[in-house]
Amino acid sequence: MVPLSLLRYDVRDREVTPVWLGPHDHGWLRGLLDEYERFVGRPRWELRRRLSEPLPVEGSSWRIDVARDVLDGLWPLEVGGQVRPRVARAMLFDEAARGLVGTRDELIARVAGGLGIEPDVLREALFADLPGQRRLAALEPPISPLELELRSNLAIAQSILFRASAVRIELAGRARDVVRYAKLRGLVCTVLPGDDHDAAVLEISGPLALFRRTLAYGRALASVLPRLSWCHRFVLRADCLLDELPRTLVLRSGDPIFPASEPIAFDSRLEKRFARELAAAAPDWDVIREPEAVPAAGTLIFPDFAVQHRIRPERRWLIEIAGFWTPDYLVGKLRRLREARLENLILCIDEERNCAAEDLPAGARVVRYRKRVHPTAILAILEERQPSLHPMARRSETMLP
Amino acid sequence: MRLLFDRGTILVDPPNAMGASDLPGVLWDQRVLALRAPAWRYPAVRAQALASGVNLRNEVRPRDRGPTGPWRPIGLRPYQEEALAAWLGAGQRGLVVLPTGSGKTRVAMAAIQRTGLHALCLVPTRVLLHQWQAALTPFCAGAVGRLGDGIRKVAPVTVSTYESAIRLMPSLGSAFDLLIVDEAHNFGGTLREEVLEMSIAPSRLGLTATPIEEGPALARLEELLGPTVYRRSIADLAGRWLSRFEIVTVEIDLEEDERRSWEEDMGTFRPFFREFRRCSPGGAWEDFARVASRTGEGRRALCAWRRARRLLAFTHGKAEAVGDILARHRDGRILVFTADNETAYAISREHLIMPLTCDIGREEREDALSRFRDGRLRALVSCRVLNEGLDVPDADIAVVVGGTGGEREHVQRVGRLLRPAEGKTAIVYELVARGTSEVWQAMKRRRGLGSAVAAPV
Repeated sequence: MVPLSLLRYDVRDREVTPVWLGPHDHGWLRGLLDEYERFVGRPRWELRRRLSEPLPVEGSSWRIDVARDVLDGLWPLEVGGQVRPRVARAMLFDEAARGLVGTRDELIARVAGGLGIEPDVLREALFADLPGQRRLAALEPPISPLELELRSNLAIAQSILFRASAVRIELAGRARDVVRYAKLRGLVCTVLPGDDHDAAVLEISGPLALFRRTLAYGRALASVLPRLSWCHRFVLRADCLLDELPRTLVLRSGDPIFPASEPIAFDSRLEKRFARELAAAAPDWDVIREPEAVPAAGTLIFPDFAVQHRIRPERRWLIEIAGFWTPDYLVGKLRRLREARLENLILCIDEERNCAAEDLPAGARVVRYRKRVHPTAILAILEERQPSLHPMARRSETMLP
Repeated sequence: MRLLFDRGTILVDPPNAMGASDLPGVLWDQRVLALRAPAWRYPAVRAQALASGVNLRNEVRPRDRGPTGPWRPIGLRPYQEEALAAWLGAGQRGLVVLPTGSGKTRVAMAAIQRTGLHALCLVPTRVLLHQWQAALTPFCAGAVGRLGDGIRKVAPVTVSTYESAIRLMPSLGSAFDLLIVDEAHNFGGTLREEVLEMSIAPSRLGLTATPIEEGPALARLEELLGPTVYRRSIADLAGRWLSRFEIVTVEIDLEEDERRSWEEDMGTFRPFFREFRRCSPGGAWEDFARVASRTGEGRRALCAWRRARRLLAFTHGKAEAVGDILARHRDGRILVFTADNETAYAISREHLIMPLTCDIGREEREDALSRFRDGRLRALVSCRVLNEGLDVPDADIAVVVGGTGGEREHVQRVGRLLRPAEGKTAIVYELVARGTSEVWQAMKRRRGLGSAVAAPV
């Protein structure tokens, strides 16, 4: 995280816009990269000492420090030497503590002789594994000034987001990936439909955020940012505490931020296992992961799977695996499903939450699970007749173990 | 009415249950359509719910993982017994203030044993993580869990680093009824206090040698842990339960070229710093660093200050003095404290002393401490690792080559020498560059030792 003292931002009506690195910085960024490359093969402390003095190409120190922070995280280091440093230390310091006669150099020569190496090799090996003493290795593939600029900007934005308690994101496209990611990070994420068909508004915070302007979720909130590059467009507004003052960080698509790599297909072990087992148990059905979001009574529902009969594609079910829930939450959710006429949605709920059967609304197509969503429970519903618009009578069939 | 634990908070269900919205600390959470309270309010929420006579289904606690222990007897010194009795008498909440080396861990272990509660011990460093585990194992015959340093094992008695606890409390906040907070002065007014907020534990014991001063941070700490219930200083215990000690301040002249270089750098730094002080009286160092980094002059001032500080950290005179002290106490067990790791390594190279820094791996550090304990090593040099809580066996000489000037650091460092032994008088050598800011820094940090120094024993 970039320290607050290094961050620069403009403030207008409490809205914070970071000062970005840009193409005008490429000159000194190139110079900085050259210095790192020049010190390849040498200990890191030498580079640090060099960089405590100005670079040949003038750049403002906060920008240089941010870029250095990023490069230090990226640049590989290696341990040199012919003898393991830990062995060298143990032998030399034990020998010295024995208080035998002889000068320091004689002692080093004696221990080096025992190890079959030259005294200078022993001296060099002594701390060769410590972070400051590790040698810079070559960075492969090399990084360009542009990439360093974008990575530095990401670090700047995330460092402000580390001080965020809640985030509101208006986005278009790939909302599911962002919602899924936020939930995986233990955040509470509410989703509202946006203006366009593929638009959504996400409000993300942590459970404790209800009580205090907590920064406990800052790291998790900040990690959402690079994932926004998956969306066609976005505007992010984060409630932050900067210099003890409440501020709103505003970021939008087009800001020069390094993007995250594409999301992996399955982030949840539970869902991955379920998809595999359901596909095996139901050979006549296609398991489609992450189908389109479905608008339902003022919010968006992101089914985790669609299951479609191969011969009769009109037989299609949506499946959502819910982690957190309370009976009230469940009642609200099922009401929205009914209002949206989404009777073909199966909700899988975690038995660990220990919700008693009488707490569930009548007619809910709910499958309880414990550790694992059992494919036969789903299959029993799939193999019923085509979903009707009146599922209220099915409760006993769907309340499967 | 049901109470559930949800990621560091308590959910009250259903929200329309009689009196639910009046429970202490409870707020309506529109995000999930539920009533929610921070987990640390759980004892009050539960007590009020029970008092109101509602039928309470308490699902906050996970399935019982069995009792702690069995325990072997833990012998306590009289003041440790007093501390434990004071904590038990205060409703199993509160802060115990005891000097380094006086056996705070033992008080905590006795608290776990006497209460029989599932306990989570929070410690600031990985070194202390292993030390606590090692301290608990001979007395607690049951499993001792560990969270941190690559291990995630939960048991009825578990030790965790603060950092692991911040990450894991949302899932483990309901698993323990007793929180032990080692070096509790690190909490209060920081992000870390949220670790305490996300736990339901009704019983809480804070341990420290250097409590924080009166103010909002202390008030918050007392709200989350309880008030100070027992307090003894070094002076109270020196002589019988802690070793006697004396402090020898050695003022050392800078060499001519060092003095010139130092004056030059401070000449660059001082005018800019004075100007900052004039414009921002009472401004913090972080503010100064931010202001300075905005201009070329400011950046030069900062660079000059860093150079000057580096120079003072280990002058030629200090290097010679370290050699002299090591030679004079050839049979002593010596700890050398430096201002930075670089100096620790320089002393290590020069005098062939094992360094104990954050860069040295856990196994090697433990191995070095073990060799120091059995006499195979007679000296260790460290920047910060030896400062806090580490149980260093039987050292009797300390050499303070450099430091921050903070009272807390100094008290912790001196505390390393105070393990009592027959006829022992520990000596603390402070090496100070004459005519520099180190002189008043040394005076300032000695204040933390209080009457123990004002009336040397």
